[in-house]
Amino acid sequence: MDDFPNSQTGILIEPGQPETVASLPTRSRGTLLRSVFREDRFFLVLSVFIGIFSGLAVVCFRFAIGWCRIYLLGSGLTLSPTRLLLAPSLAGLVIAVLVIHLFPLARGSGVNQTKAALYIYNGYIPIRTAIGKFITAALAIGSGHSLGPEDPSLQIGASLASALGRRMGLSRDRMRLIAPVGAAAGLAAAFNAPISAVLFVIEEVIGRWTAGILGSVVLSAVSSVVVMRWFLGSESLFRIPAVQLERPSELIAYSVLGVIGGFASVAFSSGISTLRPWCKALPRWTQYFQPAVAGLLVGIIAVLGAPQVMGAGYVYIDEAMHGQFTWQMLAVLAGLKIVATLLSFVSGTPGGMFAPTLFIGAMLGAAVGGAEHVLLPHLTGSPGTYALVGMGVLFAGFLRAPMTSLFMVLEVSGNYSIILPVMVANTFAYVISRALQPVPIFDVLTRQDGLDLPSMEEQREEGVLRVEDAMRPVTSPVLDAEQTLDRAFQGLDEKSPDLLLVRLNPTGWSSITRQELETKIKEDKGGQTLSSVLAGHQIPYLHPDHPLEMALRYVDRWPLVPVVNRADFRKLEGVVSEHDVLGRYRDFGEV
Amino acid sequence: MQTSHENTMIASEKEPGLHFYLSREPLILALLSALAVVSFLGISGLSRVYHAQQQSLGNRWFTRGAADLKARRFEFAVNEFRTALLYSRDNYDYQLNLAEALIALKRTNEAYAYLINLWEREPENGRVNVELARIAVQRGETEQALRYYHDAIYAIWPADQEVERRDARLELIEYLLSIRAKTQAQAELIALAENLADDPSQHARVGDLFVQAQDYEHALAEYHLSLKLDRHNLEALAGAGRAAFELGRYELAQRYLEAAVAANPNDGQCAALLKTTELVLKTDPFRRQISVDQRHRIVIEAFAAAGERLKSCSAVGNSRGTNSSASSQENLADNWAKMKPQITEQGLRRNPDLVEAAMNLVFDIERRTNAACGPPTGIDMALLLISRLHEGN
Repeated sequence: MDDFPNSQTGILIEPGQPETVASLPTRSRGTLLRSVFREDRFFLVLSVFIGIFSGLAVVCFRFAIGWCRIYLLGSGLTLSPTRLLLAPSLAGLVIAVLVIHLFPLARGSGVNQTKAALYIYNGYIPIRTAIGKFITAALAIGSGHSLGPEDPSLQIGASLASALGRRMGLSRDRMRLIAPVGAAAGLAAAFNAPISAVLFVIEEVIGRWTAGILGSVVLSAVSSVVVMRWFLGSESLFRIPAVQLERPSELIAYSVLGVIGGFASVAFSSGISTLRPWCKALPRWTQYFQPAVAGLLVGIIAVLGAPQVMGAGYVYIDEAMHGQFTWQMLAVLAGLKIVATLLSFVSGTPGGMFAPTLFIGAMLGAAVGGAEHVLLPHLTGSPGTYALVGMGVLFAGFLRAPMTSLFMVLEVSGNYSIILPVMVANTFAYVISRALQPVPIFDVLTRQDGLDLPSMEEQREEGVLRVEDAMRPVTSPVLDAEQTLDRAFQGLDEKSPDLLLVRLNPTGWSSITRQELETKIKEDKGGQTLSSVLAGHQIPYLHPDHPLEMALRYVDRWPLVPVVNRADFRKLEGVVSEHDVLGRYRDFGEV
Repeated sequence: MQTSHENTMIASEKEPGLHFYLSREPLILALLSALAVVSFLGISGLSRVYHAQQQSLGNRWFTRGAADLKARRFEFAVNEFRTALLYSRDNYDYQLNLAEALIALKRTNEAYAYLINLWEREPENGRVNVELARIAVQRGETEQALRYYHDAIYAIWPADQEVERRDARLELIEYLLSIRAKTQAQAELIALAENLADDPSQHARVGDLFVQAQDYEHALAEYHLSLKLDRHNLEALAGAGRAAFELGRYELAQRYLEAAVAANPNDGQCAALLKTTELVLKTDPFRRQISVDQRHRIVIEAFAAAGERLKSCSAVGNSRGTNSSASSQENLADNWAKMKPQITEQGLRRNPDLVEAAMNLVFDIERRTNAACGPPTGIDMALLLISRLHEGN
């Protein structure tokens, strides 16, 4: 953290909140600072409670999905065709009525709604959304719609956090951040993977790493996972097979998986981005039937021999990982799951895309692995290894969260040997997906909904202007604080600028104008040193690597801001003025 | 959304702000903790209901699966065990039974996936080791099979440990015999024999296995033990007869085989063996307690039979056109023809050394014709066996 001595008092100014503090009277300032620190601490403690309540909510959500499944589809694995057709269709009808009349914000996955809360609604997500999401998503997933529980859990967590934050009267800044804190908790509990949840929220929702939020996000994620494991056990969503990479040459086989996964991701996201607006454009009355029709079609797929595509499908991911399907069957299941998820999602049925993405990835991975084994029997990777890598591939290619995809596989498998295959395959998938589908799926969805939320992928790649891009070399003389005013004035000539920088002892900088110098000399203060005259008049300084926006805070009040070396604060690297900064921004915009 | 948002903001202005909460932080935290505890308790109740239902459903499907497995309806069993696992994914018994049903359906790859997972959880589980050994046998992975079988033999078994271990060793022995690893099988059999209960049928079975491993001494000993416990044990009688026969103890073999045939006249194999044994005893000119005349008569009879055998074998050999065997048979035929005039009761009485010379030629003929024309029958078989009996002399 870089701190700047304030010109008046030397109070440490933290980027993000300096002026308000500095402008207050000393007593109020102290009270407010204490209050800020207390709010920080309170926010951290609150994060733990957010985690606990989100964890509890997710546990209930899992129970609800389980019960819906048992009572709607039956308790067996082999389901009757009547139920396969009726359950998702009738549930679709009920869901449509609930979504249209009671819970309009429950539609969709929930990730974008949480982002919207952060960027548009100051962290506000109505609690009604959480209730609606809970009911409708549980009905949808339990009745066999091809959707997952993770994104709804994320939204439920965010909604609970928002409600708690509102109740506690948190500041606007904190309120904005509280939704992602809840989102991380909800996702961590649903996934049983706190690291992946934290990374996803940072990578896809918040979009930046800040120390202030990271602690809260981690605390809430960990506490929610603890709660979830308390009730549902610590077992992962699927049994993890033994993973090994015996020969580095086998990475070529995983690259093939990355390429195929990249194309599959593009097909999946193109399907959603094409069909979703088409469904939304249909007459309003059709919205009552869209989830039902989608449910019926998913039911038909199931009756025709692929009941595996229904629901989240973790049981079948587990089976695929343990070599219980032929590679041909796995490939068919991957294709059918894409179709089933497309149908369920574009019809507006509430539910998430995480689980279907993992399902498609696992099936595709195991299918590619199986086919490669037929062609090259000496390959040592098990179907489980390929399935795990496949999950990461789809995550990177479809959800476009490369870091999360990597750590998700790592966290789920608990095996570091898999990191290299995942990295290689993910890179291929990500590059192909980006090349063929420039806008990530979450951004496509927000734009289709008429919102303009910041694209995390675009943000990650945005060039950042730094102070060194705008600073100019020092051409004027720099005065020493121990010089007398007379001596300093004598050193000036006609070419010297009006504003002069003064190097203070032991560190620090100040400035004085030629006119002030003349005035002080006329007042018979020519024998005094600059340090005695400028006592308490420090000016802030910058370092060359600071973001340029930081310079904006100072250049309007101080016409010339020194840019100093980080290792030696007395060494001047250059100076910036308002003109320099604005000029640089103008040039950057033109580029 | 925006309207409700505005309402909330307005409402929040009326509500106490952050300072209010911060000033009462301990109280707020206490209230939140209390709320968390109450929620925890409530959801604990819900969780108990949920888990009880899951367990009950799991058990119900498992019971159905177990019944179908017992009734050998393996397809149904697999489906039901899979459903049971839906409700208790890590249940050891569910997975083990599913694996067994899958093995029965010859879906060994699937079964292996479950079993290896169970083995990783409990490497000392006997049943899992046996099942893994069976899969390794099916896959032809001998080393793995032996490792799992040995692990099973020294593993922990839930009930009746000794019996289970014995059965695992028996299975291993059968496997070793099937891959013709007779020495290893004999070693396992000796270890098994030491731990047998006082059960005549078990001793008889182990005796049979010793016979398969061609360890007739141990086999005979096991049959003896079996007969000691049950002197009418049919398997033991027949087995002892066979073992004694293989050991060349034809008198002993005759006794056991007679008893076996008497107890079970339908046992054709024993009857045939008895017939051969009697023929051996009757045709052996070197046996004790026979008169010189009787010995001479046997030699004359054996010499004639060997000549007949040589003639018929030569005819077959000629038709096949094998030169080397044909020439050696010609030599034998010449020798036989040269000796023939001397092999009379008178000739033998005049020259007692002829008995041994004649019988040596007979044995030579029987051995060569056995190699050239396949195993003989009747008196020729008896003569061949007698030749083996006296091979060392």
